[in-house]
Amino acid sequence: MATGLAVIAQGFLVARILDELIFRGRTFSDVTRELVLLAAVILARAGAVWATDRFAFSAAAVVMRSLRAHLISRVERIGPVGLAERKTGETVAAIADGVRAIEPYYSRYIPASVMATLLPLAIFCVVLPFDWLSALVFVVTAPLIPVFMILIGEGAEKLNQRQWGRLQRMSGHLLDAVQGLATLKAFNAARRMTEQVAKVADAYRRDTMAVLRIAFLSSLVLEFFATVSIAIVAVLVGFRLLWGEIGYFEGLFILLLAPEFYLPLRSMGTAYHARMEAIGAAEGIVALEDVPALAEPGGAQAVFRPERIAISFEDVELTFAGGRRALDGVSFQVAAGEAVALVGPSGGGKSSLLNLLLGFVQPTSGRVRVNGVALGALDMAEWRSMIGYVPQAPRILSGTLAANIAPQDDTPDMERLEKAARQADLFDVIARLPDGFDTRIGEGGAGLSGGEAHRLALARAFYRDAPVIVLDEPTAHLDRDSEARVQAAIARLLPGRTALMVAHRRATIEQAGRVVGLRAGRLADPAGIAEEEVAP
Amino acid sequence: MKDFLRVLRLMRPQAGWMALSIALAALATLAHVALMATSGWFITAMAAAGLAGVSMNYFTPAAMIRAFAIVRTGGRYVERLVGHEATLKFVASLRPWLFGRLEPLAPAALEDERSGDLMTRLRGDIDRLEFAFLRILQPMVVAVIVIGIGIAYAAFHDAAIAMALAVLAFAAGLVLPLLVGRLSAPSARRVTANSSDLNALLVEHLEARAELDIYDPGHRHRAAVLETSDALIDDERKVASLAGLASAGVGLCANLALVAVIAIGGPQIAAGTLGGPDLVMLALMGLALFEVVGPLPVAMQTLPGFLASARRIFSLADRAPPVPAVAMPESVPETGALTFENVGFTYPGAGAAALSDVSFTLRPGKRIAIVGPSGSGKSSLVSLALRYRAASEGKIGFAGQPVERFEPEALRRRFAVLAQSDHLFSTTIDDNLRLADPAVSRGRIDQACALAGILDFIKEQPDGFDTYVGAHGAKVSGGQGRRLGLARALLKDAPFLILDEPTEGLDPETEERVLEGVLEATRERGVLLITHSHACLELMDEVIVLEAGRIVERGAPGEVFRRT
Repeated sequence: MATGLAVIAQGFLVARILDELIFRGRTFSDVTRELVLLAAVILARAGAVWATDRFAFSAAAVVMRSLRAHLISRVERIGPVGLAERKTGETVAAIADGVRAIEPYYSRYIPASVMATLLPLAIFCVVLPFDWLSALVFVVTAPLIPVFMILIGEGAEKLNQRQWGRLQRMSGHLLDAVQGLATLKAFNAARRMTEQVAKVADAYRRDTMAVLRIAFLSSLVLEFFATVSIAIVAVLVGFRLLWGEIGYFEGLFILLLAPEFYLPLRSMGTAYHARMEAIGAAEGIVALEDVPALAEPGGAQAVFRPERIAISFEDVELTFAGGRRALDGVSFQVAAGEAVALVGPSGGGKSSLLNLLLGFVQPTSGRVRVNGVALGALDMAEWRSMIGYVPQAPRILSGTLAANIAPQDDTPDMERLEKAARQADLFDVIARLPDGFDTRIGEGGAGLSGGEAHRLALARAFYRDAPVIVLDEPTAHLDRDSEARVQAAIARLLPGRTALMVAHRRATIEQAGRVVGLRAGRLADPAGIAEEEVAP
Repeated sequence: MKDFLRVLRLMRPQAGWMALSIALAALATLAHVALMATSGWFITAMAAAGLAGVSMNYFTPAAMIRAFAIVRTGGRYVERLVGHEATLKFVASLRPWLFGRLEPLAPAALEDERSGDLMTRLRGDIDRLEFAFLRILQPMVVAVIVIGIGIAYAAFHDAAIAMALAVLAFAAGLVLPLLVGRLSAPSARRVTANSSDLNALLVEHLEARAELDIYDPGHRHRAAVLETSDALIDDERKVASLAGLASAGVGLCANLALVAVIAIGGPQIAAGTLGGPDLVMLALMGLALFEVVGPLPVAMQTLPGFLASARRIFSLADRAPPVPAVAMPESVPETGALTFENVGFTYPGAGAAALSDVSFTLRPGKRIAIVGPSGSGKSSLVSLALRYRAASEGKIGFAGQPVERFEPEALRRRFAVLAQSDHLFSTTIDDNLRLADPAVSRGRIDQACALAGILDFIKEQPDGFDTYVGAHGAKVSGGQGRRLGLARALLKDAPFLILDEPTEGLDPETEERVLEGVLEATRERGVLLITHSHACLELMDEVIVLEAGRIVERGAPGEVFRRT
């Protein structure tokens, strides 16, 4: 508002000074007071502009922060099973770029729309008593601008959403292409992928350009109206000056205010584009909201008797959104301290059962109980911190080896690290590295062989000293030699702990106290399965 | 600066359109300045004529006002279209260019990079290169042209006014931008770095979801992501706040120009050396001239982030490939023997050699198994055979010639590979298989899938070959993914087959059956089987046992087993 007042005051003073100088025969020293005043107004205006900008972005920053935090907890709720359905790069683009694109809505569109209502109104009120004809021009032309904006905006909104979809798809595509570069290279398909990258990039360019064309068209319309209106006002004022109908001061004052009348409307036009971009980006964000949150949110209850954990699956059924039934009425128990091996053909439901226990998915019906308490009522963070988990394809986090073995600790305990590494048969490998546990290992475990990556995942379970062990065929990727050593390590790990493990290998099954068979989502006779599915 | 010039050189194909866009922008801005100046002159002259009671030629100025209005709006529209079209074309061409540069580097020279970071370079950093023209070059050139003409015109009327305008233009167009640019440079550079970090962290946050859920109960990773996001927003806020300061500063200088013209020209009215209409004209022209200065502080603010992005792109593009390019490559014979002679290999920076003194000869029709514990150098051996890396010692040859004479890509055409870190693309089964050969027939796909023991699984899926495999093949099990990779390798028509742990995650019976089938179907090919399982080893011609990078045992399977 201060800006608006300064604008009007500035026009008033400039018109006044020039009128005095040119037409009233005053000398320069007569208007010194006005000049000083003018300089003060100009300074105030600059200050107001700066303050507006500052506050506008600060407000946007608050929104961006909380939106990112919200989206990140959202993907955590979607969980690993749900996230596997989506291209990672697309989700990343929504959280990183999508949120960024919301910013101009708050920092530009909202302030611009406030200015666009207040300032023209104020200028109109000021001009009306001086010259009703120019005021009439303002009144007639001003509403045309938003009307045209809306007409153009309708088409642009769809284009903006399409462009955002394209940007997300391009991000997903590029990430996938980069992650698969070695495979592309092995098949000499990199050139084909380069062509595909070019095609995707070009499609993105065309969509961007389509959006921009509309944005430019809308600013063309805006500028056209504004410029024509100013020209009309100038010509009208000029003729009435010639005929002596109004004074020069009034005429110049109106002419100076005319561009200021249209300026906020024009800025709103540009900001309107920012709004549409934000809406386009919001689509990607909302789409993330629509992804079903598969992960078990849990409750607040602490785990009862954490040192002796018994698990029971009660008539659990798991049906995915597509209608695929992964588990169909499975009931069995794992007593405290017991190790149960799950066997069965792939797709039989073994991994789904582990995912239920880990809280990565919620059962469609039935329930999983831990020491008698339903998993849904437990504090998930506490429950999961009791689990030592070794998946089939462990992910190496980028960071040091120490941080990888103990991701939960700020400063991992050296003694425990060493012990865990020895138990997982990884110590020799680490000891050979110049930086030892401080060696940085990359994304995807670059620098570790497949078997070493797997042993690292085992080391995590050892380090944690967890009462519950969940293993997804822990020795599938190991050679015989280390398999034997890992089997020995598992034998050291299992006593006294409750374990559920998917097993393909006889040696793993033999570690278990009991074997449960699963076929097509139902319990099956393990003896029948062992014959056909189990490795020696 | 070198990077900036290099970006400009890369823009050369679009140079004509860019020059046109600059010319149009200058024209449109000049029309705007002229429009303001003429309007001011016009009404003052009209008022003077009215007071004096004389008539004046108002047709010419009125026509000029109309003409300037049209040139200004139309010119700006066309200039934007042309400039953006040219820039976006340039940006779109850079993505495949950079991706093409990555190919020779992968995988050996990219191991230290996170994929999220590479994606950022391909997308965000390249996007930022469009600023070179739209936000930096074009506004600067236009500003120089328009201000130059404006000041020259003012000098024609009054030297002192021209001088005042020049000083203010210098302050707003050069001093202020440099100041703001310098103040925001650290933040702008951090924005570039943090954007990339945020992407890389997010990729990990999503893809390592299972590990983090279990092993990060304190949400430390989430805290790291949010911390990076907050730092990013904070720096963006700093940059925006300085931009606000700059735009307030430019506005101040523009209005000061108005005051200065009045202050200098005012006394001359009484003196009669300057006409009233001319004073108003110069005053409004001075004000309007600064419209062209507005984007300059932003240009200087953009520069550091832009240069950081350019650096990130070029440093990647200029990486030396781990295998040097061949100046005069020989054509690769259709087939021949792959020979390793006393080959040794040490990873850069590693103390111990990953392979030493490895020799063998693989001919078409021969099957060699390489057996050994993990970490024994099996995968390094594959990477040498495929020319992902160059041997540190010894000789590798193909068809009697050293492999250094061949183009690595041409040489790889002779090998079909199932690598240890085989990637399933986030698309359908069919697309993944056709990576081996886009034109392959359905019959051959069925045959390869049957051999790999995955056909039944595919047929059971409701969508069959159109089943989506998920990110990193997350929707199929490890064993199924492995078999899809095997089928893909079998589809590639090459005299040699390299299989690195092809039966991982399979039960022994299936393992035997699949391997037997594959070996039977590839009778004519040379097969290098890398494995730690002992399945089907009796079908191999030679078994080589590798330990800590050295061959500790070799011979016909019978002999090797007798000895071990």
